[in-house]
Amino acid sequence: MTGAELVLKVLQQHGIKHIFGYPGGAIMPIYDALYDSEVEHFLCRHEQGAAFSAIGYARSTGKVGVCMATSGPGATNLVTGLADAMMDSVPVVAITGQVFSNLIGTDAFQEMDVLGMSLSITKQSFLVQSLDELADVLHQAFEVAQSGRPGPVLVDIPKDIQVGSVDFEPYPIAEKQTPDFSAESLKLAKDLIASAQKPLFYVGGGVGLADAIDEMQDLLEATQIPAISTLKALGTVPADYPYNLGLVGMHGNQAANHAVQECDLLICTGARFDDRVTGKLDTFAPNAKVIHLDIDPAEISKLRHADVSILADFKKLLPALALETQIQPWQQQAVELRSEYAWRYDFPGETIYAPKLLNLLSQKLPHDHAVSCDVGQHQMWVAQHMLFSSPRNHLSSGGAGTMGFGLPAAIGVQVARPDCTSVVVSGDGSFMMNVQELGTIRRFKLPVKIVLLDNQRLGMVKQWQELFFEERYSETNLSDNPDFVTLAKAFDIPALTINQADQIEQGLDQLINSDGPFLLHVQIDEKENVWPLVPPGKANHDMLEGEKV
Amino acid sequence: MTHTIKLEANSRPEVMERILRVVRHRGFNLEEVLMKQCQTTNSTKITLKVSGERPISNLENQLNKLYDVAQLELHQSTATTGSAVAMNA
Repeated sequence: MTGAELVLKVLQQHGIKHIFGYPGGAIMPIYDALYDSEVEHFLCRHEQGAAFSAIGYARSTGKVGVCMATSGPGATNLVTGLADAMMDSVPVVAITGQVFSNLIGTDAFQEMDVLGMSLSITKQSFLVQSLDELADVLHQAFEVAQSGRPGPVLVDIPKDIQVGSVDFEPYPIAEKQTPDFSAESLKLAKDLIASAQKPLFYVGGGVGLADAIDEMQDLLEATQIPAISTLKALGTVPADYPYNLGLVGMHGNQAANHAVQECDLLICTGARFDDRVTGKLDTFAPNAKVIHLDIDPAEISKLRHADVSILADFKKLLPALALETQIQPWQQQAVELRSEYAWRYDFPGETIYAPKLLNLLSQKLPHDHAVSCDVGQHQMWVAQHMLFSSPRNHLSSGGAGTMGFGLPAAIGVQVARPDCTSVVVSGDGSFMMNVQELGTIRRFKLPVKIVLLDNQRLGMVKQWQELFFEERYSETNLSDNPDFVTLAKAFDIPALTINQADQIEQGLDQLINSDGPFLLHVQIDEKENVWPLVPPGKANHDMLEGEKV
Repeated sequence: MTHTIKLEANSRPEVMERILRVVRHRGFNLEEVLMKQCQTTNSTKITLKVSGERPISNLENQLNKLYDVAQLELHQSTATTGSAVAMNA
């Protein structure tokens, strides 16, 4: 068989049924092989869309997402998506075509040093050197993408290797190896937990990545320890857990931020002390000892000293941590914080209050749903006001904060989980960044539901200009946006604009009950900001609270 | 602080770039470098002398994370920069 055919064989060996990509000169042999392959290819309208769809596929299932592009600009267009996958530890394999080996380094047409540019945005990358190593490199790519802390891997394949002739040899897929943790560290951790008066679980995306959501929920049930969540963890701690204090950090719930400042033991479980979580680092959880649980040794004591650390697969570790606690006063305090800072939606007014709309959407969605969002104010409102039953149902570009993420991610979700209601919540700024993917929705008749919150502004930047830049609104006015309803209709997507509170119910029902895709265009007040907010350089207990306009 | 790190890595053409990129990005300056290919084991032996104010454990961890790095050893740390360190790869 040809190298190109081998690539598809190896994909199938790893259980890959769907890939996202865009053809071009240097990857034509693989696209030719695809023509007869059982692997289903989803043509996106931009390589960045392909990368985000692969991420959406991976994040909503826990499987590897695969994207493909040609050399040069095809590969550079994948870069932002791979960087996003790197920051959020998403298992993605990217395959790029490269020019003929003898043309590499000659500035040939669409020849770029893709390996060179991949170094900082992938967990590992390969430029395939010969046909002999092609299969092995591809197997390694899948192994590296999924093992330990997951991440993106790029395989750059020169055209001569794609067209060369090679034998296919079945390759045993290795069982996942999980490290054993030391009994001594486990004992130290349990002793600390047992002696703490105010322990707090700081739950991160690592729990979901380790497929250990049930184990985490069992551990909470056993210990009854209050918990706070990072953006990527939302959905891990059950919404009805009495000591669930919600999102921590810059736009977190005050309950979570006050609890973290007061706890005497912080049990960091698959999180990484990101600056959007900690605020001013040396004021974060000032009274707490730290237990850090992770799979990645590089996260231990990277930003905050860990008194005890355990490197382990959470599926094994979390059950071993179970113990009974005697912390009634702290639990009582958590319940009070939760009640004191519960979100409110009972504001009067005729215009649409986006948090209320999102909360209602959350209640109306069928059980099997996933929400992908873009980046900005609407992203924070989704995190604050929508409820999730699993982190696989909340796809938000966390570490990278990439605008344009939502629409293609929701396409990936819909392909991976055809029966799921795949929703995008976007803003008018972000939506335009990958709006071409409406073409992908149309092509594959994907019933993606789009909620477009339109304040005719780059809202989050505008909010910062208002608060920290003396209301100097530099380049954040988008009042010349296109007519979004007409835009959707150009792609055969029915759409509706609403701008009054009494239209919310009907608008959401129309969105959810439509058979195919739908765009609900929601006009909101540009003065509405995201509250609360920890100002940059401040401690988490110094939150600013604003008024609904 | 100046630190000497010895490591053994898979012999891929880009492995040196990969390592040096991590050194720079994680906040260290490269003071000296020695690299040698070992044909028999298909590995590359590298000795780096780096300086920086951040904890060296962070750099060790980030280098160890690289898929191509097989072994890493922190050989020597000194408080003063510019002192001679014997570099034998």
